[in-house]
Amino acid sequence: MKALQWQGVNKLAVGTVPDPELRNPGDIIVKVSRTVTCGSDLHLLGGYIPFMEKGDVLGHEFLGEVVEVGPDVRNHRVGDRVVVSSFIACGNCWYCDQKLFSLCDNGNTNPAITETLWGHAPGGCFGYSHAMGGNAGSHAEYIRVPFADVGAFTVPDGVSDDRALFASDSASTGWMGADLGGVKPGDVVAVWGAGAVGQMAARAAVLLGAERVIVIDRLANRLSQAEGLGTETINYETTDVAAELRERSGGRGPDVCIEAVGMEAHSPGAHFGYDQIKQQLRLQTDRPIAVREAIHACRKGGSVFVLGVYAGFVDKFPLGAMMNKGLTVRGAQMHGQRYIPMLLERMAKGELVTEHLATHVMPLDQAPEGYRMFKEKEDDCVRAVFIP
Amino acid sequence: MARTKTILMLAAPLAAGAAIAAARSRAARKPDESGRRHVVTVFKPLSELESQQLPGSLREIADGVEITLRAAPAGRGTEIAVRIPEGSSTTPGEVRRALRETRSLIEVGDVLLPAGPPTTKPTLTNRPLQKATQHGREGGLL
Repeated sequence: MKALQWQGVNKLAVGTVPDPELRNPGDIIVKVSRTVTCGSDLHLLGGYIPFMEKGDVLGHEFLGEVVEVGPDVRNHRVGDRVVVSSFIACGNCWYCDQKLFSLCDNGNTNPAITETLWGHAPGGCFGYSHAMGGNAGSHAEYIRVPFADVGAFTVPDGVSDDRALFASDSASTGWMGADLGGVKPGDVVAVWGAGAVGQMAARAAVLLGAERVIVIDRLANRLSQAEGLGTETINYETTDVAAELRERSGGRGPDVCIEAVGMEAHSPGAHFGYDQIKQQLRLQTDRPIAVREAIHACRKGGSVFVLGVYAGFVDKFPLGAMMNKGLTVRGAQMHGQRYIPMLLERMAKGELVTEHLATHVMPLDQAPEGYRMFKEKEDDCVRAVFIP
Repeated sequence: MARTKTILMLAAPLAAGAAIAAARSRAARKPDESGRRHVVTVFKPLSELESQQLPGSLREIADGVEITLRAAPAGRGTEIAVRIPEGSSTTPGEVRRALRETRSLIEVGDVLLPAGPPTTKPTLTNRPLQKATQHGREGGLL
């Protein structure tokens, strides 16, 4: 079958790989109908997460049709249209019981790397390096989905492929940031990053009753999309973000700050150059510019939720602000299984609209070009969707 | 840009290897840990585990190790602890793999297999990572 393969740092190619096989009785094979780029893929592409092998298939956010089921699968049959959580979870361990699905004890076949790096291993993820299990990704004609009864969800008839696709990761990640960040009616919420995840976090905050939701980015088209979701915006290249947030929140600072940027953050300030050099020299693994800003801006006793992907260690972390302001700082990979059924319901009701995120739709053969456009943000690319 | 790319191409496999080397180095510096128990918590009540034999690869190494079970607090299940006695031929890697597989068998009834067939090929730059992942359930801190 055809698949988009990582061939080295900043090198992608569509190649031919073996078709996936059922490996466990709870597996299904899905014929992928939509699969989409994610900002976190750029960290793999750029070599910032050094656990890729030449030939690995990328992609973790997808939707498709079930074409084969294992003998233990109960919830799905051949022909079902399913959207699949990007994180792989067993549904039976203590973490899954707590609905912390991305922390599953049994979903990562290769726990040694992350256990060594981070103390404990999270679950596995599709197409996201051998640190996350080495699972083949979704930028392919077919994909194997383990624990299918737990992680694959039948899409209601009234929800289009183009909308349901984003329940797989962007919408569930964004919703998690607002939910676990503790957004309540009346809150002022600030969201760093107006990519797909940031927009979905902002929309979640609106739906959860926040009084004001303010999205921060530098790209006009993304800020315009965010405004269409019922939010306010700040362009960080033309505005003093901290001062603006203070003014818009009565001097208190946002109650909840959601960071949806990740390890390759940009900034017009001198600290961008500082972080960039340290990262390139591997003196720090991540550029935590947005996290620093969120912690500094957040109101006393407020909540900061880190949705952006980080790999390891950062410099100049504002521990003093965090401690002295009594903040709650939390983060997670996405617990998709917890949110996808609810998100599909909201999508069916029209409360959650995602089609606008797919600014570029193209055949899988053009995926390397799609990633180039996505990385360069060329032609106002927000997400490139591939059709195998 | 080209220089950055070259640096990253070299840095990526080196960083993977460095992470593994650092872990080994840390392990080498540690005091004698030979008596340390390897422990996992399994989300199943002690009463249910005591009434059945431990499944899978933990049973296979049971003769060479000391296994103790006790209830975990707050309904978290059962703590399974394994100590390798002096003179045993069982390795810490075998114990880690056995504990992880046993936890999965108890909780899920199955052990997740890696995706396949593989889409990667052995290359010089893949080698350090492939070496690290060949025995993915044997390494780590457990």
